Amino acid sequence: MSKFVDRPRYTCTLGGALATLRAIPRAIPIIHASAGCGHNLHNAINPGGGYLGGGYCGGLSLPSSNVTERDIVFGGENRLREQIKTTLEVMDGDIYLVLTGCMVEMIGDDLDAVVSEFSDYDKPVLPVHTPSFRGNSFTGYELVLSSLIRKYVKKQSKIPGNVNILGIVPAQDPFWQGNLKEIKRLLEKLGLKVNTLFGEGEGLESIRNAGSASLNIVVSDTYGITAARTFEEVHGIPYITTGLPIGAEATGNFLRAVSDALSIDKTLTEFVIAQEELIYYSYLERLADIYNDIDLQRYAVVVADANYAPALSKFLSDELGWLPELVVITDLLEESQKYILLERFKNYQSGLTPVVKFDTDASSIKKYLAEIRPPNRNQRYYDSFSPAVILGSVYERDIAGEFGFPLLTVSFPVTNRVVLNRSYVGTNGALSLAEDLLGLLVAGR
Amino acid sequence: MNYLEAISAPARENRLRANIAFGGTCGDIKGCLKKGCFSGNGCLNLAGRRFSQTQGCQFTLSLAILNTLRNAVVIMHSPIGCGTCTISNVGVNKTFKQLRDPNSEGIIWLSTNLDEADVISGGERKLREAVLFADKEFRPETIIVANGCVPSLIGDDIDSIISDLQNQTAATIVPIHCEGFKTKVMATAYDAVYHGILKKLVKKPERQRYLVNDDVEALKESYKIGRNVNVFNVGSMSRADELELKRLLNALGLNVTFIPCYAEPEDFQYSLESSLNISICGTHDDYFLEHIKEKYDIPFIIDTMPIGRKNTDRWLLKIAAHFGLENEARKLIETENAELDKCLESFRETLKGKRAFISGGEVRILATAEILQDLGMKLVGFKAHHFDEFIEPVFDALENVDDVVFDVATNQPFEQANLLKRIKADILITHTGGNNILAKIGLPILPLFGPAYNYLGYSGVFEVARRLNRVIRNGQFNKQLSLHTKLPYKEEWYKKDPFTYIVEQDAV
Ligand code: SF4
Repeated sequence: MSKFVDRPRYTCTLGGALATLRAIPRAIPIIHASAGCGHNLHNAINPGGGYLGGGYCGGLSLPSSNVTERDIVFGGENRLREQIKTTLEVMDGDIYLVLTGCMVEMIGDDLDAVVSEFSDYDKPVLPVHTPSFRGNSFTGYELVLSSLIRKYVKKQSKIPGNVNILGIVPAQDPFWQGNLKEIKRLLEKLGLKVNTLFGEGEGLESIRNAGSASLNIVVSDTYGITAARTFEEVHGIPYITTGLPIGAEATGNFLRAVSDALSIDKTLTEFVIAQEELIYYSYLERLADIYNDIDLQRYAVVVADANYAPALSKFLSDELGWLPELVVITDLLEESQKYILLERFKNYQSGLTPVVKFDTDASSIKKYLAEIRPPNRNQRYYDSFSPAVILGSVYERDIAGEFGFPLLTVSFPVTNRVVLNRSYVGTNGALSLAEDLLGLLVAGR
Repeated sequence: MNYLEAISAPARENRLRANIAFGGTCGDIKGCLKKGCFSGNGCLNLAGRRFSQTQGCQFTLSLAILNTLRNAVVIMHSPIGCGTCTISNVGVNKTFKQLRDPNSEGIIWLSTNLDEADVISGGERKLREAVLFADKEFRPETIIVANGCVPSLIGDDIDSIISDLQNQTAATIVPIHCEGFKTKVMATAYDAVYHGILKKLVKKPERQRYLVNDDVEALKESYKIGRNVNVFNVGSMSRADELELKRLLNALGLNVTFIPCYAEPEDFQYSLESSLNISICGTHDDYFLEHIKEKYDIPFIIDTMPIGRKNTDRWLLKIAAHFGLENEARKLIETENAELDKCLESFRETLKGKRAFISGGEVRILATAEILQDLGMKLVGFKAHHFDEFIEPVFDALENVDDVVFDVATNQPFEQANLLKRIKADILITHTGGNNILAKIGLPILPLFGPAYNYLGYSGVFEVARRLNRVIRNGQFNKQLSLHTKLPYKEEWYKKDPFTYIVEQDAV
């Protein structure tokens, strides 16, 4: 039984669907919903995703049937039919996806029937049911992908060495584009042909041809799995899940997992890993002075989604040598998903075991902080939780301010920084992360 | 006016016969006003579009006010998505509140996160839990329950749930019935918000009374109330705007309270100890002011918006007239104008003859246009979110605009993109939101409003001139974008009449 959420860090299914389509060039969403939904969601996704912008068709240019109570009384199908027809007249796209809001689903508009009337149009027009009461942004990503996988991805014979990347949700991961790029770079070193579906160098054709992959790599324990299963069911493509690789060690393990799944020559894999580590440490080594000169070790609190939280915590512990004492995972999760995620916090090389909480509410963070380190009750000698850094969303600004902890915003919503092609995954991304974290600490020098 | 018996405020298409789809010129608009298109059967009333783009709903616009209220928690009673637009505000909200009260908290909101099970069995349980949690956890003075479309479709009886909960909370619970799908006129939001505020927050403040009647004190009090005025601010106003209006009204010896934005709950009570309610924009306030007039007999002024010299002059004179202070006001106006006029000269040199297209709220765009004419610029087009009777007084300050294009469209950037292929413009002045399309047209853009900038009053004229002058000096960012990006519209669209998709009667 779900509950209310104190300041959600995601939008609804429709929002996730819109953000996902925002990432596909020349894809045109047609929203069948009230007039406010698209506008509202754009105003969440754009700033929350580090100023993602509306993209080709985004923002207030999103076609929308804008149904009102009157339409709803009579059923919204006529209005939808008219809106699809006119959208095809005005909007210049290569694929059109008709998405639904909650009210039209509740009155039972027959989306599929109306959309099927446009099957003769020279560009595909596809229906996707995305009522907001059916999940959050992550669900929207899965639903759009699954529908594309079923209805749009070409059935093809598998090409060994072709892989797709799943599990990074555009906007919900503000660094999605940079992250996909870094994952692609790493896997290409193994000789793979990498299709990230979205992002740099990809387009609608990438999605159309995703059926040629011989493996789907889901860089998440929780997201992209429905899409991967749909790929498996419809196109017979197997998948592995790896979690988000942040840092040299995670990157090494990631490359090994992929190479095992594809039976890639181990010497090649180890060679690539060694090369990456060499470069990575050639940079990280620069910190040897300042880190130790002025003691840049910190306690850390991580407040993030199911992708980032375990990955960041492990990186902080095992590579940066910090003390991530508290990790709050803010998504709506099933018990089985929580179980898998908890595994990721075991066996740290540092020997640390962070306290992991699953909690969607912004106001909870402070309570957990008091739990792990009871406040000073006027003790003369008090072992405080300091110096510390928070890695979270912009919602953590208040608590960071209150305790005087620097804050690096990494998880949605990120409204206090502009994100273009920055990445926080792989080895390059981990270097950026180290730059940004330690940059906070030397900012006053 | 009295709609307070009803659960929610009526939609503006019914109450004001407002229009959201019209294509023509300013002359046509004036003609409509003369013909009485907003009275009787409201000939423009049900116009719509066969093709439409997302436009915002009264829920999201309501939040523009609700999210500013101090010491309040907002509960979005809806699935998880409604109201997430608050994210665009979350970072700056606290800063703006603290300009009014340094101890203010940032915005706190909860979503009742209605899911499939709730759609079947009702959202009551989650609403109760959210309200009780908010009360206990944050100890706010007010808990605002904003209803989205879903609870209304489920048939949740919000008002009775709330009156029941009211016995269990320290905070006053204010329901706001702002379901997006109830209206096409986004501005109904203002009525929806005021409806809730009128019902729950507006009441005479409890004052200690003198045991023995003291005539001097009574005189003092009535003297004070006789000089108190409320100015109704809007979410798009900045603190600098408020300070400018305050400065001008103080100069006339009036004390100013600003409501509703950034107000504290009890400010609505104290606002009743006042002798005049002053609107800065008819589109916002008529619902509230009419109700207050009827119930508490406080007169009001709804006229023009104090943006631009002539409009500010007029606004001040109207207020002064109410207090018999015309002569004082004239003196003030004269001094202000003389000084400002001189300082605009250098900007007139650079801006003279530049062609501007303005889009946004009906009153605001026309008021802003006056500044442009003052600077010698040429108006080439208007796009208004909607159109109703409140537009009328704002035309008075403008000269020779009868032939200027006037598009009535809540957002709908496709129409403006088409218009801008036909109309040569040098600069766009735009409401936030649609700019990812307009920027790619390649013209420099000045935001129509900004909560960190001054636009209103005399200082606003100077500030707008200064910023226009800056923006126009280097438009490379948008120009480069236009060379490297493409708009999402088909070539055929630009060949069609920009108003092709407007239909008189909405397709139902
Ligand atoms: S569901 Fe209704 S209230 Fe929510 S954003 Fe959409 S139109 Fe607005």
